[in-house]
Amino acid sequence: MSTFSGISAASSALAAARASIDVAGQNIANATTEGYTRQRLTLAAVSSPERIGNLFSPQTSAGQGVAVTGITRIANEMLDARVRSAVSATGYSFVRASAFSAVETTFNEPGDSGLSAGLTDFWSAWQDLSNNAGGEAASAVVIEQATLIASQLAAGYTAVSGQWDALRSDASVITSDLNSSAQQVAELNGLIRTAASIGQSPNALLDQRAVLTTAIAEMSGATITQRPDGTVDVLLGGNPLVSGTTAHEVVVGGATSIEGGGVHLEWSSRPGAIALDGGELAGTLAMLAPAAGGANSTLSSIAANYNTIALALADQVNTIHQQGQTTSGVTGLSFFGLAQGVPAALGLSVIPTNASGIAAGGAAGGSLDGSIADRISQISKDSGSPDTLWASLVTTVAVQTKTELQHFALAELASTNATAAQLANSSVDVDEENVNLLTSQTAYQAAARVLTAMDEMLDTLINRTGLVGR
Amino acid sequence: MITRVTSVTMMQSASRNMQFAASALAKLQDQAATQKTITRPSDDPSAAAKAVAVRSEQKATAQYVRNAQDGNEWLTTVDSTLANVTALLQRANALTIQGANDGALSSSAKEAIAVELDTIRDSLLSAANTEYGGRFVFAGNSAEPAFSDDFQYSGGQGTVERRIGAGVTLRVDADGSAIFGEGDESVFALLSTVAADLRSGVSVSAHLDTLSTRMAAVTNAQASNGARQASLSDTEELLAATTTQLEASRSSLEDIDLGEIVLELKMQETVYQAALAVTARALQPTLMDFLS
Repeated sequence: MSTFSGISAASSALAAARASIDVAGQNIANATTEGYTRQRLTLAAVSSPERIGNLFSPQTSAGQGVAVTGITRIANEMLDARVRSAVSATGYSFVRASAFSAVETTFNEPGDSGLSAGLTDFWSAWQDLSNNAGGEAASAVVIEQATLIASQLAAGYTAVSGQWDALRSDASVITSDLNSSAQQVAELNGLIRTAASIGQSPNALLDQRAVLTTAIAEMSGATITQRPDGTVDVLLGGNPLVSGTTAHEVVVGGATSIEGGGVHLEWSSRPGAIALDGGELAGTLAMLAPAAGGANSTLSSIAANYNTIALALADQVNTIHQQGQTTSGVTGLSFFGLAQGVPAALGLSVIPTNASGIAAGGAAGGSLDGSIADRISQISKDSGSPDTLWASLVTTVAVQTKTELQHFALAELASTNATAAQLANSSVDVDEENVNLLTSQTAYQAAARVLTAMDEMLDTLINRTGLVGR
Repeated sequence: MITRVTSVTMMQSASRNMQFAASALAKLQDQAATQKTITRPSDDPSAAAKAVAVRSEQKATAQYVRNAQDGNEWLTTVDSTLANVTALLQRANALTIQGANDGALSSSAKEAIAVELDTIRDSLLSAANTEYGGRFVFAGNSAEPAFSDDFQYSGGQGTVERRIGAGVTLRVDADGSAIFGEGDESVFALLSTVAADLRSGVSVSAHLDTLSTRMAAVTNAQASNGARQASLSDTEELLAATTTQLEASRSSLEDIDLGEIVLELKMQETVYQAALAVTARALQPTLMDFLS
């Protein structure tokens, strides 16, 4: 035990207190930084050296002060993983709920401007024509209402296909975002491995990487695996998006319009759809999927329903209309026309331009007979009428929207809870840092006092001893 | 796991709570302002489906009301015309009875009766060609007048019907052929024959039976027309009741209960203000306030 060992112990205490103040300062500085994880100084007491072979100086020793062993990043991998899986579910639900809400808004139901109101007005117009067969005014109203329905169907279809196009370009944007995030994760992997190997603190890099991997999980539902060297692998559908310092690129493939079929994500190096587990991309691709069965769970199936309604309308009106005759006795006329090569909802047109083209009367009736117009007005009462098809489309989409909104609310609750748990562990508490600051400050003062005591002791020894008789 | 509370988590949960309170407030304000409980189908899919059905039923009923009004005009026109026709035929009957009194009448008196019968015939013909809204009410669906000058009937191809309910139609015209007869069998031809017989001195008493048959036909038509008019006004009353009831259903499905919403709104406002006040109190103090 040397005379000056106390001084070096006090000096290590001063250094430790200063480092602790630095860490508290860093925490306070980043109290509101997104993704920052609070840090703690880890200290260890330095024991006195082993005395070997010196049997004549058996004094016990307090130790040699304190050593700063590192700066710990207080993160919990389990909480982080929980956040990633929660945000991936939220991303999926969010896209679907928004898309369904947007489609539902274009229905304008219940109200006076929706298709159901248009159809009812159309059938009413036929009734008026039946009461006044051959009347120019009544015929003009029928033609005008028919044109209105045709444009409503076209507008509805266009709104859905516009939604499809918007989601298709969203998918591309998210994918390029995903690729750039993956690239950054790969680069950070390299930096973190290097920092760890040369003994630097990689904490800031780890924070950045955690933000990116959470974003990747939200976008694509990818999972993360830790590797012993400090790097992480990002797995998408079982295959690595990031492996060590290498990022693999993904691209969106498939149809580019709603009529063209499905859209999928694939590796740029190897074609074939990637099965996604969640995230915004999975939600987007699910909305872009081709129509399947009767369920209105994709945009294509909603668009297909518009076509079915347009076809049913044209078919049912024309079937009856062709049996009728105009006031001048012409028979076999169609009322609605369907353009070839385009979706029925877009290709629906009204053929007659005035009363002479409308066959309101039955073949056996007089020239002012309105029985065919009356029969057309009663189409709405049949099962399978355009009205019924429309009502069922509105109802199924409404139920689906409600379900998606509920899923989203639940997913968001789960992700709020997961994030709250993560933040409870990792976020900076200013009060706590203040306490740490005070403690360190006091420790620093105390260490300085120890140094003063040592100094006075040595002063006594050096300057005031051995002066007897001087 | 015991949750650690930090300034960040407190801030986040405070802002989340305020967000919840504000969004609940906004939804209630929206409902109170629009007076609608369903602003989009997903608010309540089953109520929305019912509302759509009720709305289309409302429009259909409004159309039936319009049809019934139009039908009523037709029936009224037919009825008043037939009343007129009955009066004319009664006068013709009286004249024919008078003319049948062969011995007492001079030829000039018979000529006077014949002239009046000709006038009555012309009036009957014009009554038989009565129009409503450009349509001949005794001609069925024909665009031509019901009877031409040679008493030929133009109708006979179907009847004029008005739809006054789903699956219910009502005939609103009257069969000119059954009421007036056609061609040589018609009441017009009959009156011409009577006048001609009077002029040529032939006894007209033989025509009295035929004339009373014709009068019976008119009375029959008037009775059945009256019955249809009665049934139509019953239907109109029923339609008026249906209209009221449908509006009540629509309102109960779509419209808000204003008292309830205002109460909820008031409550939600209090909740929101409480959230604001609590947040302001909870977030203010930090340790720094107490360190000197």
